[in-house]
Amino acid sequence: MVFAATLDGPSIPWVELIPILSLLAGTCFLLLVGSLIPTWPRRGYAWVTGISTTVALVANAVKWNNLYYNKGETFFADVIAIDRFSVLASITICLAVIFGALMMSAYLVRMNADGPELYALLLTSAIGALVMVAANELIVLFLGLEILSLSLYLLAASNRDREESQESGLKYFILGGFSSAFFLYGVALIFGSTGSTKISGIGEVLSENISIANTDAMLLVGIGMLLVGLGFKVSAAPFHVWTPDVYEGAPTPVTAFMASAGKVAAFAALIRILAVGLEQRVDDWRPVVWALAILTVFTGSILAVVQTNVKRMLAYSSISHAGFILVGLEAAGHVGSDGVATSMNYLAIYTVLVMGSFAIVLALSGNTDGETNLSDFKGLAKRRPALALAFTVLLFAQAGVPLTAGFVSKFAVIKSSVEANSYVLAIAAMVAAVIGAYLYLRIAVSMWLEEPASESEISVDPAVVIVIVVSVAATLIVGFFPELLLQATRLARFAPL
Amino acid sequence: MHASFPILTALILLPILGAVLITIVSNKYLELVKVIAMVFSVGVGGMSIWLLASFKSADSGFQYVSQHDWVTSWGISWHLGVDGVSLFLVVLTGILFPLVILGVDPHHDHKRYLAWLLLLEAGVMGSFLSLDLFLFFIFFEIVLVPMYFLIGGWGYDKRVYAATKFFLYTMLGSAFMLVGIIATAVLARRDIGYLTFDLVTIAEQASFATNTGRWLFVSFAIAFAVKVPIFPLHTWLPDAHTQAPTGGSVILAGVLLKMGTYGFLRFGLYLFPAAAVWAKPVLLTLAVIGIIYGAIAATMQTDLKRLVAYSSVAHLGFIVLGIFAITSQSLTGSVMQMVNHGISTGALFLLVGMIYERRHTREIAELRGIQSVAPIFSAAFMIVMLSSIGVPGLNGFVGEFLILIGSFQSARWWTIVAATGVILAALYLLWAYQRVFHGEPDEANSTFAEMTLREGALIMVFIGLIGFTGVYPKPMLERIEPSVDKLVEHVVSHSDYKAPTTPKIIAEPHGEKVGE
Amino acid sequence: MLDLVWLIPALPLAGFLLILLFGRILGEPRAGILATAMAASAFVVTVGVYLDLLSRTAEERHHVVTLFSWLPVGTLHVDMALLADPLSITMALFVTGIGSLIHLYSIGYMHGDPKFSKFFLYLNLFVFSMLMLVLGENLLVTFLGWEGVGACSYFLISFWHTRDSAATAGKKAFVTNRVGDWGMMVAMFLAFSAVGTLSYEGINAAADGGKIAAVTATGIAMMLFVGACGKSAQLPLYIWLPDAMEGPTPVSALIHAATMVTSGVFLLTRMAPVLHASYPWAGDVIATVGALTALFAATVAVAQTDIKKVLAYSTVSQLGFMFLAIGSGAYVAAIFHMVTHAFFKALLFLGSGSVIHGMHHEQDMRKMGALRKLMPVTGFTFIIGWLAIAGIPPFAGFWSKDEVLLYAFANNRLLWLIGVITALLTAYYMTRQVIMVFFGEARWNDHAEENGAHGDHTPHESPWTMVTPLVVLAGLSIVGGAMQLPFSKSTKFLEHWLEPVVHHSEVSIADTWAYSNKWLLLVVAILIAVSGVVAAIAVYSKGKFKIIEPQILADAWRYDSAVSAIVGGPGRAAFGGVAAFDAKIVDGAVNGIGTEVRAASGLLRKVQSGLVRSYAFVIGLGAVALLAWFLLRGIL
Repeated sequence: MVFAATLDGPSIPWVELIPILSLLAGTCFLLLVGSLIPTWPRRGYAWVTGISTTVALVANAVKWNNLYYNKGETFFADVIAIDRFSVLASITICLAVIFGALMMSAYLVRMNADGPELYALLLTSAIGALVMVAANELIVLFLGLEILSLSLYLLAASNRDREESQESGLKYFILGGFSSAFFLYGVALIFGSTGSTKISGIGEVLSENISIANTDAMLLVGIGMLLVGLGFKVSAAPFHVWTPDVYEGAPTPVTAFMASAGKVAAFAALIRILAVGLEQRVDDWRPVVWALAILTVFTGSILAVVQTNVKRMLAYSSISHAGFILVGLEAAGHVGSDGVATSMNYLAIYTVLVMGSFAIVLALSGNTDGETNLSDFKGLAKRRPALALAFTVLLFAQAGVPLTAGFVSKFAVIKSSVEANSYVLAIAAMVAAVIGAYLYLRIAVSMWLEEPASESEISVDPAVVIVIVVSVAATLIVGFFPELLLQATRLARFAPL
Repeated sequence: MHASFPILTALILLPILGAVLITIVSNKYLELVKVIAMVFSVGVGGMSIWLLASFKSADSGFQYVSQHDWVTSWGISWHLGVDGVSLFLVVLTGILFPLVILGVDPHHDHKRYLAWLLLLEAGVMGSFLSLDLFLFFIFFEIVLVPMYFLIGGWGYDKRVYAATKFFLYTMLGSAFMLVGIIATAVLARRDIGYLTFDLVTIAEQASFATNTGRWLFVSFAIAFAVKVPIFPLHTWLPDAHTQAPTGGSVILAGVLLKMGTYGFLRFGLYLFPAAAVWAKPVLLTLAVIGIIYGAIAATMQTDLKRLVAYSSVAHLGFIVLGIFAITSQSLTGSVMQMVNHGISTGALFLLVGMIYERRHTREIAELRGIQSVAPIFSAAFMIVMLSSIGVPGLNGFVGEFLILIGSFQSARWWTIVAATGVILAALYLLWAYQRVFHGEPDEANSTFAEMTLREGALIMVFIGLIGFTGVYPKPMLERIEPSVDKLVEHVVSHSDYKAPTTPKIIAEPHGEKVGE
Repeated sequence: MLDLVWLIPALPLAGFLLILLFGRILGEPRAGILATAMAASAFVVTVGVYLDLLSRTAEERHHVVTLFSWLPVGTLHVDMALLADPLSITMALFVTGIGSLIHLYSIGYMHGDPKFSKFFLYLNLFVFSMLMLVLGENLLVTFLGWEGVGACSYFLISFWHTRDSAATAGKKAFVTNRVGDWGMMVAMFLAFSAVGTLSYEGINAAADGGKIAAVTATGIAMMLFVGACGKSAQLPLYIWLPDAMEGPTPVSALIHAATMVTSGVFLLTRMAPVLHASYPWAGDVIATVGALTALFAATVAVAQTDIKKVLAYSTVSQLGFMFLAIGSGAYVAAIFHMVTHAFFKALLFLGSGSVIHGMHHEQDMRKMGALRKLMPVTGFTFIIGWLAIAGIPPFAGFWSKDEVLLYAFANNRLLWLIGVITALLTAYYMTRQVIMVFFGEARWNDHAEENGAHGDHTPHESPWTMVTPLVVLAGLSIVGGAMQLPFSKSTKFLEHWLEPVVHHSEVSIADTWAYSNKWLLLVVAILIAVSGVVAAIAVYSKGKFKIIEPQILADAWRYDSAVSAIVGGPGRAAFGGVAAFDAKIVDGAVNGIGTEVRAASGLLRKVQSGLVRSYAFVIGLGAVALLAWFLLRGIL
């Protein structure tokens, strides 16, 4: 887009781009100065990342404030939509980036492999994510998707000393390409049938002529293709298969970032496409989402039962969380539902939970970043009670125990689902949640009820401490006073067509 | 009618505060931790007793109501209140916890143990006081966490299995209730005009279509049936009870199970009267099965604690019978029985715990002739046992009799069968008593230590309650009944149910003439 | 004076509490003396109340003292209230009277027992409960006493609980009684739903006023009878009573002969109007069961060798007589026989206790004999008791038994015949006992060494504390009949006395054949009794005929053993089956779900092979399914 500025194209309101630009600036700074000055002050890269992201965050916050009274608008010939929905998603993503940077710094310091590259990748992937959530145009969306994905592939493979890391990067890359192909082809088909790649445009076309003669099948197949592509990104069953291996193999901070920011972006895109672009075709996609949701919640919770690696367990739990968000999305497919808002609500809370959880995993995972087996958590309560307590809070929150943010998010989604009269889905999701709870209980058991396997001193990096404290605090505050968050998320709306 | 001081809120928040303090205090000052736990639990107990004293017995409505907005966008409010149905459960909770905290020694990790216990108290108090569906669910569910850790952390050999089973089983039940709660609020919005989870508002203003109401009732009933537990959903109970530490068992039997039966009263009969009447036959049948089945299973247990656990299944069966017979006597009896079962079975678990402390076994086969070496201990056990059997003059009888005589009016044949439960109760308890306390003590038991002063004092409280309630239940009855009658009227006016009327016969001193 | 009726139960209760608190300090014999004093003073108060009642007209002999409201719920109002009327006071009189005598006796009998004070603790508690039972103003207060006496009987039967047989007997008694209690509870439920009250006054008034439908009344009556069968050891629930002899002998005398076991009879008399209002067959059922029980137990008593077992079965048999009377509508006769029976049966039991005491706890009559010289008082009084129960005029038993048979004849001659045969057997087995214990040659020397070597084995007379009650009871057994003599209306004191209680329900046999020929029946009764005695003497003393004691009789027709076999065999197996069902099926299902999920998890895990190609395959499959759906939507 830097080049786009030199051509004479649509007028460019730079101020709307501040978040993306500041991240971009951060990236360039890291790469250029990083290569010029070999030795930086300790955590210098992290600071740069943090600052540039904070700028983006603040810019988004300001935007949110301005949007309080108007729903937002679209720019650049309507390819970017800055509305409450996208801003909320961007804020969540920026938070994820900050958390990610903190964890990254701790991780790299411990491996003493501190360098600019990973931070730069972190920022670029964030740029991709921001583009995705704001994209009102399928091609732009695809660009964002690829920026995000490519950076993530590299991040996943970044640990040269761990084979699993390499492997996960490669797997993610191959399968990711596979799914991107689906996505792209879907875009093509939809363009073929509606003559537009603008999401809002598609919506208009479809609302004007309800059924497009003889291109209907084409449109529908296109929708299917899109769903496959994005279903892969949000790791909805059966497109989730890559998730456990990649999450387990990737360096823990990367996993955390993938699981949060990556998912937020992909879901934001999915929601926008379905709710805005294909609003008229609700009856076509709602049943699919319904099926995907049920499949996903159960796959996630059932597969988690026999796992022995905590990172893998969290991978599966993230899958069942994706299922819950799909429940909200399914509700959004009904008239007058607040499913979109509750899904975003879920995403925001989920981001915090997953960050905190992986931060604790990181704290324990040792210098090789590989000590993440259930046995490594034995007797944690005796070794580091505070850490164990924090993890317990986060785990029970993920299980949906009341007075935690996790309960609020689940409650909200189930509420939307019930309001949309999809009781079966609601009950199925809750039952799956109970099965899923077993996984969190197992971790709790080994932390509290078993004797420590090793007495080795656990040193927790301050950066990680920050992440843990913030996420736990947020979990409890939102748990006790849900209103704080609900007031914001229920405002999530799309820019007017 | 706001009470000047929000006592109900305090009843919930004080234990939490105590738990927080305990968590803050360092492990080094163990004594301080114990003092904190004692002060807070006794304080709560005192407040609950003050509540009992200042409770207006004639008032059938909710008293000391305190209501504050909480999650406005969902119409959820911090709405607490106490009436005749919940009053004595609150008092029981208030009394039981300090007794457990003072009387039972967890042996290790006192700090965590006490913290969990106080959190548990808060949860239990909350679920008995909540008048908001969402609030109730939160407390109903949160209780699982401390109980889980109490069983898992301080229980016996198979504790993790039992704790996990307890947690998941109960959580599965509440999963349905959560959906039910949301559906209730959402559907009630049509009648009320705005979204609210307020129990009273919904119960008084909303009316559900017949089938809708039934589905909603079922979703609640599943959760409560697991909690009570009602046959065939009871099998988590023996495991949880057997594996839980003594304190845990006392609380579990004393108050936790009552959350289920209380739920049936408050969120079954009150919220869905028509559906409850519709489900009456099923639940009556299950209750009667539970009474007989639990007793039979108890008879064959070889583990003393497990035996008491199964006896709970039978006793709770009586309570459910009384609830769904829906007469003034049976419901009053059920509320009485909730409290009485808490006292008697709580005491039984304490005594079994004391036996375990001394002999490190709960196997009936390994115990013998204790009465010869520890007569006072045996006497205490005997009294508690008789109250559990339901001998008149002791508390157990009052509730049981009221339930049966009340149920007979509306559910004759069920009652006749259920009444045979009193035979079985005598059978399994006396048989156990004979095997454990009678006979010549072998040398393993010949050194069985007599009751210590501390234990004696602890049990005396229970025995005092057992005796007083049995001889003079009037103070309790006159506080319970108004609310219960109101509930019966509510059911009658909101369903096709006709409350049975007993003929009023005025017998004159030498009454030949008999007036209707 | 009537307002002091609450004192009657209060005194033994006070005794119970005092011993409960200070029993160990008091110790022997003070605890015993205290308990006895309490029982005795209760007796004094009762006498006072009795005289007060006596001084009133028949209509005013009815006084209720309400202590406090016990169970007020809705339409149910149960007061903790006591009723003083001829029936309750009659019961209270002999309960406290005989009770205090047995207390006194126990001081001597329990001498040296380590749990001396505890024994009196239970004894006082029992007297209290029994008084609540008889004085109760409503069914529930009676039930309080009813269960109370049951519990005390459990404590006292298993008093020597280190003996497994004693422990088992106690448990058996309690559980069997509970079966009866179930009946009584159901009766209460029925009464409440029919009348809306549990007070005798209300129920009986309603019954007299025809407010209770015959079917309901029958239900109540039958259920009460079930309760009575449990407490008063009638077929088929009698089995606990013989085993109850495991308890100390004073207990057998007080609880299992004189007082508790008669409470069934009392209850039915108390509720006579209801019985009266029910279908006629209800009475027949009661009478038949009573008669059969009487005969059954009598046949068994013939072959018993344990001195107490004989008396136990004899008690069951005599209780049968009382129910025969009740069933025939002869409530006065029933009460009459109850009282006289209390006198002579208590006497016999205490006598046997004295013998056992003197024989150093030997109970086998085959190891006794010729004891009357060594134990003159015991022997003499026992012989009086024997004559009384055998129905030899003019002793008490004769009059009451004759009264019962008279009404039985008027009601149903077959049952009368059974009664007569029973009377014959009674005379026979009692004579047999007397001969085996007090006459013939001394057989106890031969067994002296078997008894284990403790000191001197020659039997000895008991101390005064034990002998005095014997003498008093002997006196009562002689003159007891005087309270109801059949000569003329004026000699029927008891009938007038109980008139206000049973006047509606008592049958009138004035114009029956039986009544006009009652002297004939009287003679028959005498002949029967005498022939029984003579026969026994011929067999056991003169040895004219060979002894007939078939094993089947000694085993009580194997009924008890059959019951135990069923309970211990199939019954226990069934219970075990339920327990197994719970563990295997019900809980198995729960854990089964867990294992299923685990299995599914393991299965799905296979998909998670880690191979990219298989992942791609799965994704492809999903994609195909998805696209298929959309294609179908598009084409159709």
